[in-house]
Amino acid sequence: MRVTEEEDDRTSGATEAAECVELRAIRVQVTGQRFCSNRVSTAKYNALSFLPCFLFEQFRRYSNCFFLFIALLQQIPDVSPTGRYTTLVPLLFILAVSATKEIVEDVKRHKADQETNKRQVEVLRDGQWLWLTWQQINVGDVVRVRAGAFFPADLLLISSSEPHSLCYIETANLDGETNLKIRQALPTTAKLLSVTALRDLQGTLHCELPNRHLYEFTGTLRLANHEPLALGPDQLLQRGARLQNTKWATGIVLYTGHETKLLQNSSAAAPLKRSTVDQAANMQILLLFFLLVLLSLLASSCNEIWASNFGFQHWYLGLEDLPTSNFGYNLLTYIILFNNLIPISLQVTIEMVRFIQATFINNDLEMYHAETDTPACARTSNLNEELGQVKYVFSDKTGTLTQNVMEFQQCSVGGTIYSAKSDVVVNSSGMASSMVQDLTAKHSNAPYIREFLTLLAVCHTVIPEKDETNPEILHYHAASPDERALIQGAARLGWVLSSRTPETLTITAEGMEHRYQLLHILEFTSDRKRMSVIVRTPSGKIKLFCKGADTVIYERLGSAAPTGPQQHQQYIRQVTTNHLEAFAREGLRTLCCAVAEIPHDIYEEWKHTYHRASVSMQNREEKLADAANLIENNLVLLGATAIEDKLQDQVPETIGALLEADIRMWMLTGDKQETAINIGHACRLLNSNMELLVMNEESLDGTREVIGRWLSTRSEGSSPLSTTMASSAALVVDGQTLKYAMSCDLKKDFLQLCLQCRAVICCRVTPSQKAEIVEAVTIETQAVTLAIGDGANDVAMIQKAHVGVGISGMEGLQAACASDYSIAQFRFLRRLLLVHGASNYYRMCRLILYSFYKNITLYVIELWFAHHSAWSGQILFERWTIGLYNVLFTAAPPLALGLFDRRCTAEVSYRYPQLYKPSQSAQHFNVKVFWFWMTKALIHSALLFGLPLMAFGEDIVWSNGKDGGYLILGNAVYTYVVVTVCLKAALETSSWTWLSLLAIGGSVLTWFLFLAFYSHFWPSLPLAANMAGMSHMLLSSPVFWWLLILAPVTALLSDFSIKTLWNTMFKSFTDQVCEREINLQRSESGKLLDSQRRDSRTKLVETARLMRSVRNVFRRPNASSDGARGQTELELSHGYAFSQEEHGAVRQGDMVRAYDTTLPSRSMDKL
Amino acid sequence: MPDHSGNSQPSSVSRKPSNSAFKQQRLPAWQPILTAGTVLPTFFIIGVAFIPIGIGLLHFSNNVKEFVYDYTDCKSVENSNLSCAAILEMNITKNCSCVLPVNLTETFDGDVYIYYGLSNFYQNHRRYVKSRDDHQLLGTLGPVSNECDPFARYPDPNDPSIIKQVVPCGAIANSIFNDTLTLMREDGQLVPVLNTGIAWPSDKQMKFRNPPNSNNNLSEVYKGYVKPQNWRKNIWELDLTNPENNGLQNEDLIVWMRTAALPTFRKLYRRLNLTAEGYSSGLKAGNYILNVTYNYPVKSFAGSKRIIISTTSLLGSKNPFLGIGYIVVGCIVLLLGIVFLIIHIKYGKSNSEMTNVTPRSPYQ
Repeated sequence: MRVTEEEDDRTSGATEAAECVELRAIRVQVTGQRFCSNRVSTAKYNALSFLPCFLFEQFRRYSNCFFLFIALLQQIPDVSPTGRYTTLVPLLFILAVSATKEIVEDVKRHKADQETNKRQVEVLRDGQWLWLTWQQINVGDVVRVRAGAFFPADLLLISSSEPHSLCYIETANLDGETNLKIRQALPTTAKLLSVTALRDLQGTLHCELPNRHLYEFTGTLRLANHEPLALGPDQLLQRGARLQNTKWATGIVLYTGHETKLLQNSSAAAPLKRSTVDQAANMQILLLFFLLVLLSLLASSCNEIWASNFGFQHWYLGLEDLPTSNFGYNLLTYIILFNNLIPISLQVTIEMVRFIQATFINNDLEMYHAETDTPACARTSNLNEELGQVKYVFSDKTGTLTQNVMEFQQCSVGGTIYSAKSDVVVNSSGMASSMVQDLTAKHSNAPYIREFLTLLAVCHTVIPEKDETNPEILHYHAASPDERALIQGAARLGWVLSSRTPETLTITAEGMEHRYQLLHILEFTSDRKRMSVIVRTPSGKIKLFCKGADTVIYERLGSAAPTGPQQHQQYIRQVTTNHLEAFAREGLRTLCCAVAEIPHDIYEEWKHTYHRASVSMQNREEKLADAANLIENNLVLLGATAIEDKLQDQVPETIGALLEADIRMWMLTGDKQETAINIGHACRLLNSNMELLVMNEESLDGTREVIGRWLSTRSEGSSPLSTTMASSAALVVDGQTLKYAMSCDLKKDFLQLCLQCRAVICCRVTPSQKAEIVEAVTIETQAVTLAIGDGANDVAMIQKAHVGVGISGMEGLQAACASDYSIAQFRFLRRLLLVHGASNYYRMCRLILYSFYKNITLYVIELWFAHHSAWSGQILFERWTIGLYNVLFTAAPPLALGLFDRRCTAEVSYRYPQLYKPSQSAQHFNVKVFWFWMTKALIHSALLFGLPLMAFGEDIVWSNGKDGGYLILGNAVYTYVVVTVCLKAALETSSWTWLSLLAIGGSVLTWFLFLAFYSHFWPSLPLAANMAGMSHMLLSSPVFWWLLILAPVTALLSDFSIKTLWNTMFKSFTDQVCEREINLQRSESGKLLDSQRRDSRTKLVETARLMRSVRNVFRRPNASSDGARGQTELELSHGYAFSQEEHGAVRQGDMVRAYDTTLPSRSMDKL
Repeated sequence: MPDHSGNSQPSSVSRKPSNSAFKQQRLPAWQPILTAGTVLPTFFIIGVAFIPIGIGLLHFSNNVKEFVYDYTDCKSVENSNLSCAAILEMNITKNCSCVLPVNLTETFDGDVYIYYGLSNFYQNHRRYVKSRDDHQLLGTLGPVSNECDPFARYPDPNDPSIIKQVVPCGAIANSIFNDTLTLMREDGQLVPVLNTGIAWPSDKQMKFRNPPNSNNNLSEVYKGYVKPQNWRKNIWELDLTNPENNGLQNEDLIVWMRTAALPTFRKLYRRLNLTAEGYSSGLKAGNYILNVTYNYPVKSFAGSKRIIISTTSLLGSKNPFLGIGYIVVGCIVLLLGIVFLIIHIKYGKSNSEMTNVTPRSPYQ
């Protein structure tokens, strides 16, 4: 079942319009309700629909329709010059090959669907948990999902293993956000833990009709003996998300299969993508069709003129007695005669070549990721050559560029840099120092270190959990990956958070247990850019620990220092700033840490203020922030942390290579601006020479103004498209601004601005915005776009781009499934584009051009011959030899060109990204190239007909004086054509393997063998009477053999000379590189090349320095003062970034207070 | 798209692609580079080889002796005022003959062949080419093929009410060349010629056969059929002296049925009987007389008829084209070779410098 886009729009539109009217009523745990099955299908066909769908798909192609038309025409008696079945049989053969390919591909899809549908989940049936497959789940069922597992459908959370029936879900697949989200069941259902309790759960559930809004959900649950309960997104567990940090969760199935939010978002049937080359080829086919009609008209007009002027004089023809000699019939005859100007085998040759090219991609060991055992996978083969023309790459961040793994790398404490990893680090003065050493050695820094580590262990919302099997091992559950990294880092350094109760935190440090009483958690928000906790220390002091962006922390630093003279604090601040810059330079995410001791009286006073704020009914958020602001003061700077948001392997190198290949790279991420810019630097998308344009606008007018200002400044000095300009700017825009910028009237200007920038980063964008950007660029530039991503949030973008690439192998495979190509690592994109893309494009162009060429060469000869045969439409060749031309005698050379030819080796294409440019700019297949080949084909056909015509004279070409007949000339010409086009293929082959040799040599040989066999059919078989004895006659003629040398040499002389001339005088960069490589290979000094391989271990970009070039940062109007702007600049230069769930289902403070990890958690065994 | 999320079932079989040369596209490859320098030897070798070959082929062609006479407008013996063509135009059935002087200035050594040649005769017309019934020609007495229309069925000349099938049917057979050419010495003695061995043995064996069990009684076998409209003889009267050459197996018919490629063609008519006394070495130089029974009308379509007496070389009849072709192409190739030599001297050196590219070189 497939929900089309229109249907979906209609339903969602209807929901918005009349919410109260259209509702879905679900009876809990009642079977037999009529809803969509949870079985999903992405396959194109099933056994029944295959034939009609396949035929429909096939006959949407002009060429197949055309050949069907020809095949039908041939059934009209007395019209076809080539018999009745000479088109039908090849057509059927070709359809059979296509069908085989489709079946093979669809079986794969069926298997993939099967794998999903057969995944198992626990379902409550008849009072017990049964393991059932996903496809057996019905709406209304109660299911139980275990930790780490994916939700099989959209569920309503009933209860979970955690306190208050909380549960964490990871939605990276859905929206790409890195932090975990918290869901909480309704208190009424939260206590339904046991099987019996769940079994007795009865009631009705009303909710919206299926829609595509991921975070919207409203409904009511009417349980027996209960008031109706309001349901919201907090209870929704979407399919595609997975359960984390929670042992298990139970839920009622709300939406299934294609009605789930996830599938609604990607339910639009995968668009049929066609490559640019394909479209161009289709255009040429259309062109050839007109040429064909033109030729046919010309020839049949000539025939008409000849017949009416001279026809009746030629008494021996008996034309006057023939009924079917009018213009219309002749036109049809000629259309049939010339039909093969359009190569019938082209489509199938292309399909076969693509299929094998795809297997080359699938089998490339260089794109095989051993850790996850994932090879690259071409899910569609229609776009192989499109990979060679990519101009824009749109990349997701999380999971694509980054690993979504945070690691606490370094920290600066009290003015010294320590490693948080190996415990030894080279500090700025080059001296190795160790935090633990300094601690134990009573270094002057020791108090700072102690305080710093305490902060890390206390100031967070992480929940520790003892491993069930080994209590020594602690698992940390955190909504923020940063905090998790920090707490793990602190644990490594000896400050271990061992347990948490609603009121206290217990820390094991230096062999002792310290219990901190948790007084308040001042939550993190993006506006505050910090979080604080207020605790009562074991010694009874009240302390505030705060971590956040350096700008906000520095603002709140007090003038006094707890220990040491004030001067020391000043020193620390200065050094820490330098350290922050150093961290940012390495692309690390930084947070500043500070502490303050609060006198009891002030605390008591503040507590009331805070309490009032927390119970206020209006603007609670704002009031809480204000209250927090009051106490977060007079801080003492302890230091800073540096967390590495780990990039995938070789991301900077890959991006560098892509940029070098003139591919524009855009990063579209749902993540925050700071993180995005951080990663932009880390992966060298942004560099020191770039001007950074940051757009954060909150109104349409503001956006318009900024875009206008920018465009005018850009176009002032130099022309807007000058390359220096383009290379010097990077645009950073957030989702809100993007919404305005993509509105109708601004769209064009905005895109123009974007296209002038070398790199564009869009942050906080929704999946649909991603798709919108990709689509807009696709339309605006007409260039080939590629989108790469790993999560469900990238699916829309992947489907909209010309080529969609999915990252597979890690967790979610949504993107991979929707993609055209899936690779395990971002770095494989380089090989996919530069090696496979470029060579596939080159090969495909050669293949298409060659196919056109060979057909025109043969079939235009019919035109020349028509001039000698009274325009009667007689063919010069035997009808089946002509029919088999495309499927037998010249089928292999195009395959060889399409599969084995290459100009440079994979290594060279990989190493020289510039070699991508010719294919990117369509240099191998455009109108000029096409006509160049066509002209050659015309010249060849004229020579290949003219030379034998003259040499055979009046057909006496044997010493026995006998005369030959038209087929002697015909077969001789045919032989020369086959030999010439095969030699032409040889001439076009740059790289010879034994397979190319076999294909080209074999084709010629096949023809001769065929000739020998076919000449002996008659009279044993009622076929080819006119070929009887042909082989002996033809092969015994010396003229034939001498001409076999002369004709191809003459025809190819010009090609050979032009090619040589070109190679000598107008050598392209590609030629030079290849030539050099070959020469090197020959002299066996290939090592030379290796030595020139770039040192891939270059240092990361110097973020901080280059960040000073941020000159144009547009802030939101309400904060556009110079100070605020400076603040943003500073933040950018100091690499501040932090992820945390905000405004979530459960407030962070409440959430941590819900846990008492000293108690054993609810285990499943009890139920 | 479904969410094929989660790791697939852990399988013991690794999905690592196999490391075969084919799949990894690492088949050993040879990459020739065509530059002026590398192709120079090829050009010179081809040039140097082609010119002598051309001269040799030209020599062969020139050694062929050929006598051609266009007798389309020959004067009638019966009525010397008119040409036979004109007489035929008035009455197609009228007998007319010509006497043509044949003056051989040199001796025709070895095998000597007599051809008739037609021009502007479209034996390659689509309607004409297909207008035959190969099964009938193979001796099958079945219903005649539709391809033969409109030369497939005629009313019996004796009884017009009966429609009979034509043997051999079709436009080709109907329009068989029916002039009789007889070569005589000046003294009136016939030059001994053979009317067999002029068709391809394969044609004779595989394509043309009288019906089985016909033996000498062809007239009986074909009693139920009529001859083609334009024929003056019946099918069983084609060669009364040699039953092997009679009926459908008649070699004149077989030669005619092998349709020519171009509107100007020649067909083998007779060959000199070298075993006859005085002709073992060929046809001596001197004056001969050719008697033509002029039956075949070509004036209506502006055609012409020729008689050709010719020897052959290894390459067949006289045709200098192949030799000239080789010489011309050889010269062009040599010329190109010289041009490339110049280019090589001018550009060849800078090549080695140009190839000093690194991954950092800008793209040109």
